[in-house]
Order: sequence, then C-alpha cells, then structure tokens
Amino acid sequence: MEPKLRVENLSVWYQRQPALKHVTLSVEEGEVLALIGPSGCGKSTFLRTLNRLSEEQVGVRVTGSILLGDLDIHQPQVDVTQIRRRIGMVFQAPNPFPFSIFDNVAYGPRLQGAADPAALRKIVEQSLRQAALWDEVRGKLRRPALALSGGQQQRLCIARALAVNPEVLLMDEPTASLDPLSTAKIEELVGALRGQYTIVMVTHNLRQAARVSDRTAFFLDGTLVEVGPTRQIFTAPQDSRTEQYLTGRFES
Amino acid sequence: MGRGRRLYGLSAVLAALGLAGFALVLGSLLKSGLPILTWHFLTSSGPGGIGPEILNTAVLCAIALVVTVPLGLMVAVYQGEYLRRRSRRVRELDHLRATLMSAPTIVVALVIYRVAVGWWHWPVSLMTGALALAVINWPFMVAVSRSALASVPDSYREASLALGASRFETVIKVVIPAALGNLIEGIGMSLARLAGESAALIVTAGVNVSQHWSLWGPGETLAVHIWYIRTEGLVSGRDAEAAATGLTLMIGISVVLWLASRAARLFGRSQGGYDGA
Amino acid sequence: MSMPSVTDRMPRRAAGVAAGLFGLVGIVVVASLVAGAWPMLGEPRSVANLIGAVWDPLRGRFGMAPFVVGTAAVTLAALLIAVPVALGAAVTVVHQMGALMREWTLRVLAVLTAVPSVVFGWWGLQMVVPWVRNRVGGPGYSLLAAGIVLALMILPTLSLFFAQSLGQVPKVLREGSAALGATADQTLLRVELPVAMPALVNGLVVGLARALGETMAVQMVIGGQTALPRGLADPGATLTTQIFTDITAFPPGTAGHAVLDIMALLLIAAMYVLVRAAERWGGL
Repeated sequence: MEPKLRVENLSVWYQRQPALKHVTLSVEEGEVLALIGPSGCGKSTFLRTLNRLSEEQVGVRVTGSILLGDLDIHQPQVDVTQIRRRIGMVFQAPNPFPFSIFDNVAYGPRLQGAADPAALRKIVEQSLRQAALWDEVRGKLRRPALALSGGQQQRLCIARALAVNPEVLLMDEPTASLDPLSTAKIEELVGALRGQYTIVMVTHNLRQAARVSDRTAFFLDGTLVEVGPTRQIFTAPQDSRTEQYLTGRFES
Repeated sequence: MGRGRRLYGLSAVLAALGLAGFALVLGSLLKSGLPILTWHFLTSSGPGGIGPEILNTAVLCAIALVVTVPLGLMVAVYQGEYLRRRSRRVRELDHLRATLMSAPTIVVALVIYRVAVGWWHWPVSLMTGALALAVINWPFMVAVSRSALASVPDSYREASLALGASRFETVIKVVIPAALGNLIEGIGMSLARLAGESAALIVTAGVNVSQHWSLWGPGETLAVHIWYIRTEGLVSGRDAEAAATGLTLMIGISVVLWLASRAARLFGRSQGGYDGA
Repeated sequence: MSMPSVTDRMPRRAAGVAAGLFGLVGIVVVASLVAGAWPMLGEPRSVANLIGAVWDPLRGRFGMAPFVVGTAAVTLAALLIAVPVALGAAVTVVHQMGALMREWTLRVLAVLTAVPSVVFGWWGLQMVVPWVRNRVGGPGYSLLAAGIVLALMILPTLSLFFAQSLGQVPKVLREGSAALGATADQTLLRVELPVAMPALVNGLVVGLARALGETMAVQMVIGGQTALPRGLADPGATLTTQIFTDITAFPPGTAGHAVLDIMALLLIAAMYVLVRAAERWGGL
C-alpha cells in the first residue's frame, strides 16, 4: 500500500544551525508512529515540519520533500492552510483558546466558513465524543474551556483538531504536562483513534511509546538512527546507539 | 505566501501613515527652528533668547520633583508594604491616584488658582507654579513607585523578613534598592512630563519673565513660551523662535529620558513592559 | 501580615501621614470645586441655564452644551483616527519586525509619548489649520483640526499599549490557531484580538483620558468659538479650553467662575468613571 506520508531527504536549519539532517521516513496509513530520542535530537522539529508550522519562525530553512499522497507539501505554491487542515496537531501543553468549550471545537470549522448552528453543534458533539470528552462536558458547552482540568483541556484540544476532519494527527508530547490518570486516558484515546487517523507522536516516555505505537523511530543529533516495528525496536534494536538510549545510557 | 495576510499589509500602511505624521511634526520643527538655534539664542534673555525660560523650567521641575519623589514613594510604600494587598484602603487610594493622574492639568490649575492665589494670596509666580506641578506630579510618582515596588519579587521581602528585619528595614535595604532601576526610569518619565506642562503653568506661573531672583516672581517656562509667542505674542513672525524653543525642549526631554534609561540600566532595571512575541 | 515590630511604628506612621495627605489633596480638589460651584448648583433655574446651548456670560447665560459637544466631537474624532493607526502600528511592531528593530521602535515610541502638547499645537497651527482651511473650508481653526492634532498626540501612547497587549498573547495560542489551518489574518481577528481585548481596552481608556483632558494642543487650533458648532469644520471650544480661556476672565466668586468649577467637576467625574470602567472591563 502507498504510505500516507513519505519524507525524503529532509533537512532543516535554524539560521545556520542544522537541526535535522537528511531524514527519510514513511508513515503508513492508519498507524501510530512514535518518535523518540533525547532532548534536542530533532524529533519535535521533524514533527513541526510535517505541517509547516516550523516556517512560522524566522530564519528556518527546509530542504527535501514531504509527500502527502502525491502532493509535496513544502512546495511554495501549496496553500499551507490546506495542508494544516489535512494534518492536525496537538501540542505539548494543552493550549485551548480562552473561549467556551463549544467555540474551541467549532473554531476550525468556522475558519472554513461553517456557520449553520445545527451543523456546528453536530460537528462539536461528534468531535467531543471521539475525544472521549463528551460525557464530561455535555450540557456545559458554554463554560470557559480554561475551567476544565489539564487532562480535559488536552482532550478538548484533540477534539478541536479532529473537528476539521484531518487525515493525519501530529502529537507533540501530548501528556508531558499531565498526571498519570489523565495520561492513561489520552493513551487510551490514541488507541481508539488508531486505524481511523494516521498518528505521529513525539514522546519522552519510552513506555508510552511501547504501549501505544505500532512503529517507533529513534532520532539522535538531528539524524534518524533507525525506524521499525515498536516491538523490534524495543527488544532487538539494530543500532547500538538505539540500545544505549533505551537502556538509559544517554542523558535525556 | 501572500494569502491571508491582507491585514498585515493594511497594518503596515497604517503604521507608515503614523510615522509620516511624526515625520511632518519633527521635520517642520527642524526646518523652522534649527536655523536660529544658536548659543546666543539659548543663553540670552528678552526677544530672541530663551535663557530665563530654560532656567525657570529647570527650577520648577526641580522643586516639583524634590517634593513629590519622596511623597510619592511614601504613599506607594504605605500601600504596597504596610497595608494588606487587597484591602479596601489600597483600592480607594488606587482609585484616587488614577483619577487624579488622568485629571486635566487645567483642572488642577483651577483648584490651585482658587486655593493658593485666592485664599492664601500667593502671587502668580514660580512658587505657585511649583505647587501646581507638585500636585500634578504626585499621583504620577505614586504610580511610578507602585509599579517599581511591585516589580520586586515577594521572595526578596520574605527572605529579609525571615532574617528578622522589620518591614521598614526590608523596604530600605532590600525593596527600594531592587526597585531603583525602575524608579529612576519612572522619575525620568515624570520629569519629561513636567517639562512639557503648559496649561497649568500659564495660569499659575504666568507668561512673563521676572527680573529678580525670586521664587515669588512670575516665571515663564519653555513650553509656555512656545504657546505665548505663537498665539498671544504681539510681534509677528516669531514662528521660528517658537520652533527653536520647541526643539530645545524636545532635545532636553530626550536627553533626560536617555540619561534616565542609562542610569536605570546601571541600577538593574528589571525587564518590564513589553513581553516580546 | 506579621505583627508590626517596634522599629516599624514610626516609618509606618510617616508613610500613613503621606497617604493621608495624598487623600487630603483629593478631597481639597473636589471640595474646592464643589464650594466654588455651589452658588450655581443650588437653584433649579441655574441648572436649566447650565444645560442650555447659549453661552453669553454678559447676559447671564451659561449654557455648557457647546463645550460638552465640542469635547465629545474632538475626542471622538481623535480616537477614530488614532485607534486604527495605532492598531496597525501594533500589528506591524509585533508581527513584522525583527527583535532589534522592535526594541528600537518601542523605545522611540516611549520618547514620543513625552513630546509636549504645545509642540503638537504649534504643528497644528503650522500645518493642520491651513490644510483644513484649504481642503475642507471654513476658517481652518476647527474641531477637525483639534481632532487631528489630538490623534497624533495620543498615537504613541495608544501604539505602545496596543503593541504590549498583542505581544502578551501567548505564542502557543497563535500556533494552535495556525495548526488548525487559520491564515495569519484569521488568527489575528479570531484569536489575538479577542484574547488581547481587556488589555486593548485598558490602552484605549488611557488614550481616551489623555484626549479628554488635553488643553493646550486643542486650544491652539480649535478657534475658541462659544456657539454650538454645527459641523467638524466649525470652530468651537471644549470644556478644558473654555476653563483655560475664562479662568482669569472671571475671578473666583463670580457666577462665571462657578460655571468653570462645574465643568471641572464634570471632567473629574468623567475620569473617575473611566478609571472604574478600565478596572471592570480592562486589565493588563
């Protein structure tokens, strides 16, 4: 089968500093791919290049290609907003807008011109159900999003991303700021979304990667060291550096 | 990449418009004023000179600052260091300060005119002008001191109190030194504001220059001079003189602000105001 | 708060006396104005006289309407011009400048807030009044000229406050919006402006207060006509300029001076309302 995302020879520089060097990697449709590696290894940079969020920063230069289907998303004539609708993102710390729960989820559809209240209500409900938040916020959709707990806020952000019907979901350490219980709920949710969405997830938590992902990619110093089925990476890594990292012999 | 950035373009156009406005002000000021801005102009008195006006401005600002800096600091210390943070009295003082600070200076002049000139029989003079400036500047100094003191982290105070220092010792030895940079910058700003005051001084200090060295004589300042020779003066064609006076005032204010920010950095001004994007 | 220690007793009292004196200044300001205004406020007939549209002190007609209208018109004109320009400047400063350029621009804006109002008045006489006379007609000395001069005068303050407000919007919110496919414009309109709104309101109130209270810059270009203005190109007067003009013409104790006190009270009341409004709807 054609991969969902095909990254070829991708390099990224901040000013003159290389952050990512010649990465080639494919993401299969419907899988959960975990990106692991020590801090500063380039995994977050890689993630932010996939929806071109990296270019919001000044002085960033990208070479190589990223194919979504057969569209090279880094071509300058490609509309970046279209790409971002097809590739959603969840951030490290929950970042709901300081609006109501409803307005948060409806934000994306409204950007595309959705205004019909009934249709919006349907999208909001469906997205909240998918994000396993509906039962907790039903009837409280007008409450401010910031009144929710951290874990609920993160699931709200997932619902917000799902509301525009993306094909790919990027998650940048989505449980980094959450307590164990909320983390478990998010992991459960990722499991439920598998198959329906293609998910690329950066995580610092190795056990989380082992629990939720189908395949794992290990980054070090801006290069992709190896990528493979999660079970194999964790039990029989082919590169000695992967093994060293997994057994805790790197500062992370 | 141009897609969906129309507002950014519009913003740049509007910003350029604002910039053009200020370029016009500064440009016409320079064009009219610079040719006659000579040493003689700065030092001599009478028509064609602004020596006394410079002196009067300095004297008035100095008196007002000497009075209001300690008084403003004391009110701020009382509010911020001695009263409970959210107490009613703190809020009432804040309301009073904010209202007085935004009150038109001509209203302050109206009050001073009644109280000092009417009831106390003070003449229209430097002294009366200084009183008006002090009343105008006091709330500003309270605001400056309040925000400077608030910029000092509470952990500093707690550390000092935990060592057995009294509140007063904490304020004198820890809080004020830590706030000094911000205080100096605020004092510079208030000095610039005072130097530019005109409405209140026309009423209280007058538009004449005294021939005697006395605080009880009338004292026209630079800002008042600009207004007087441009609108009330009997001699026509003194545009250039008004512009040159304006330039002098602007240069003086810029130097004050520059010195204040240099000094503030020397005393460790904490990063305040703008947060960056 | 801990028990006051012995060494704190005197300093505390001294600071308290300063604060009490500060409160006394506030009381004296209001009380002296009320005392001065009392003869006019006392009887119903003079109240009816005060809200009229005719200002003719020689015949005992003290209608303040022309000045209230003048103040409102000039302030509104200034805000209508300055607010969009300041917003544009703020967006440009926050989004389209490098760090170094931004720092310098903010520093220059801070200096421009201290430009004396007479300098703006001088420029108004030099350029704005002739421009209005030639382009709009009338004598040139007008509400419009005053509005333009005031707009430029409050522009640095407004720009500085607005830039600060927009700069405070967390980056993660802008990125969150962009990641949902929002264009730069959409993010600005739908996230940044709403999130920054309380701070923007605060800046707006500060600018409004400056415009409302300004005397000299307005006095120099407004023309000082005491009849009710019929258009922006008409000359007029504001509450502050009228106080300034008549303060020495009517000595304290006369009916005319009492009316000036009432105008001053109106201005102070307006400022107090603005302070409370900023507290309620604004915030940094």
